[in-house]
Amino acid sequence: METAVSVVVDATLITLILALAAFGLAIIYGLVGVINMGHGAFLTLGAYLTWAATTAGVPFVPAVLLAALGVGLVGLALEHLIIRHFYDRPFDTLLLTWAFFLVMTEIIKIVFGTDFRNVASPLAGAIDLGTVKIPIYRATIALVSLALIGGTAFVFYRTTLGIKIRALIQNREVASLLGLDIALMYKLVFGVGACAAGLAGGLISPMLSVDPYIGNVFLVRSFFVVIVGGVGQLLGGTLIGSFFIGGSETLFALFSKQVFAQTVVFLLAIIVLRFRPAGLLRAR
Amino acid sequence: MTVDADKRFPAAGRITWRDIGASETGVAVVVLAIFALLPMVVSGYPIYILPQYMLFGMMAMSLGLMWGFVGILSFGQAGFFALGAYTMGLAMHTNWGINPAYVGLLLSLVVGGTLAAVVGYFLFSAGVRATYFVLVTLALSIMVEQVAVSQSEITGGWNGMFIDRMSLTFGPLGDVPLFDDAPAYYAVLPVVALSYVLLRWLVSARFGKILAGIRENEDRMTALGYNISVHKTRAFALSGAIACFAGALYGTHANFVAPSLGGVLFSTEVVVWVAIGGRHSLLGALLGGILVASLSNYLSTVTPEYWQLVLGLIFIAVIVFFKGGVAGAVAQLPRLWRTGRQP
Repeated sequence: METAVSVVVDATLITLILALAAFGLAIIYGLVGVINMGHGAFLTLGAYLTWAATTAGVPFVPAVLLAALGVGLVGLALEHLIIRHFYDRPFDTLLLTWAFFLVMTEIIKIVFGTDFRNVASPLAGAIDLGTVKIPIYRATIALVSLALIGGTAFVFYRTTLGIKIRALIQNREVASLLGLDIALMYKLVFGVGACAAGLAGGLISPMLSVDPYIGNVFLVRSFFVVIVGGVGQLLGGTLIGSFFIGGSETLFALFSKQVFAQTVVFLLAIIVLRFRPAGLLRAR
Repeated sequence: MTVDADKRFPAAGRITWRDIGASETGVAVVVLAIFALLPMVVSGYPIYILPQYMLFGMMAMSLGLMWGFVGILSFGQAGFFALGAYTMGLAMHTNWGINPAYVGLLLSLVVGGTLAAVVGYFLFSAGVRATYFVLVTLALSIMVEQVAVSQSEITGGWNGMFIDRMSLTFGPLGDVPLFDDAPAYYAVLPVVALSYVLLRWLVSARFGKILAGIRENEDRMTALGYNISVHKTRAFALSGAIACFAGALYGTHANFVAPSLGGVLFSTEVVVWVAIGGRHSLLGALLGGILVASLSNYLSTVTPEYWQLVLGLIFIAVIVFFKGGVAGAVAQLPRLWRTGRQP
């Protein structure tokens, strides 16, 4: 019973944290169709900027917001300088965003060094449920993740901007005929996606030691979250995908080492991708 | 009229592998001759380390085969390379009455080829698109790394695994130990050269023409009755076997393998080598691997971070401006000269 409760709690927390980490990727890949291999670098940059801001004396919450803003700006610059010229060549954007990852990682190394950095957790302590203890910070982040996804759902389905974005996904040409500024929308979506990744990186930073490759841990898992959930299925897809990846990892970790559990999960994700390339949510 | 011309000469105005092929053979002969004569002029560290870079180049060719000739990019070549090194390391402890190194080399071909064939057919038969293939192969290299880390009883985990240098045995004719730099150099060079010749032959043979057909127009090849997934699988199995074989030789030459050899960073470094060297040219890939890896090794001691940064920027420049890489640019030179003379 105790294990059952702790597994459920762990799986829920991991699902929501993974959803947070993957959300920026889900936005960029799902809405503008760019396979953003630079997602990991966005996460890493978010974590480092948060570290830099908190070290400079900024309180945690504004520090994370600043980091998100910073990463959003970097994303906008990347889109404006390079990516926007390659929207019709998805394979080249894959390579270019990977090149961005390589360059960004080196810049991070040059600016911040390669040592581990630690961001102090702003909320210490744990909620004691008798059988299991839930770290307050993790629980908060899980809630933030839910709020972020819920908020995006609101923007998506209840605002004019959301209608425009949905029109863009459904039919790019007709949307542009109706007077929608496609280039601007793409830029906006890319910037928001980068911003979300930066936010995630900042929020995750107190849970891990920050190093230049921290984002790598999440890159492939984020991709599998998005693909398993279904590309373009921003809300349900991200949650289902995260549950599949994070939840099963928690389960397998019960029986084997954590690293090996990851291997099994990747294998499962590849099988899903093979038989359901459009994701679990979409019918064949 | 212009439309017709475009249809008849789809390649007009851009580089094709055929342009490269014509000028490549001559360059290849010169380059291989230089490598063959090098130990007579140079000695010491370069002769020790060059075979390892040649094997990197061999892995780069295995990627070039997929990327340039089938149009499918693998982000997991180093996974196969590391797998080969581990296979070699484990095989060196066998005692089956034959030279354990031969067992290792043979096994690496089988293991690499089989794994690539299984993964390849599993994905290609479902028509998985090229971008997903990149992600799956990326995951594959992570999995190799993770298995190497987690199965520490077999692989040594983070500490890595030590592998003895191999010896060449010729039965009753005696044996040649490869412990010294020069014999090891002259054992690796012919293997790399042979794999280059084999691949060049394959891509110019029927097999290569089918692959090129698949790269240019899959639907047409299907309509012509070719089984696309089988041919793609064959190419990937070959690519995996070559990378794995190169890895096995690398393991015994470097005396050591650690999980990071199969990791994402090294896997994608191979992509950078091939992009810079020229994805449509096997020689470009080979030399890209050798030269960029040597340069990385040299400059990493001088200015590690800035060099990686510059390499990343070069990579971007190649994708944006010179899709053919150095080999493509070189192949274009004579044509530029010709068009310059004919106004």
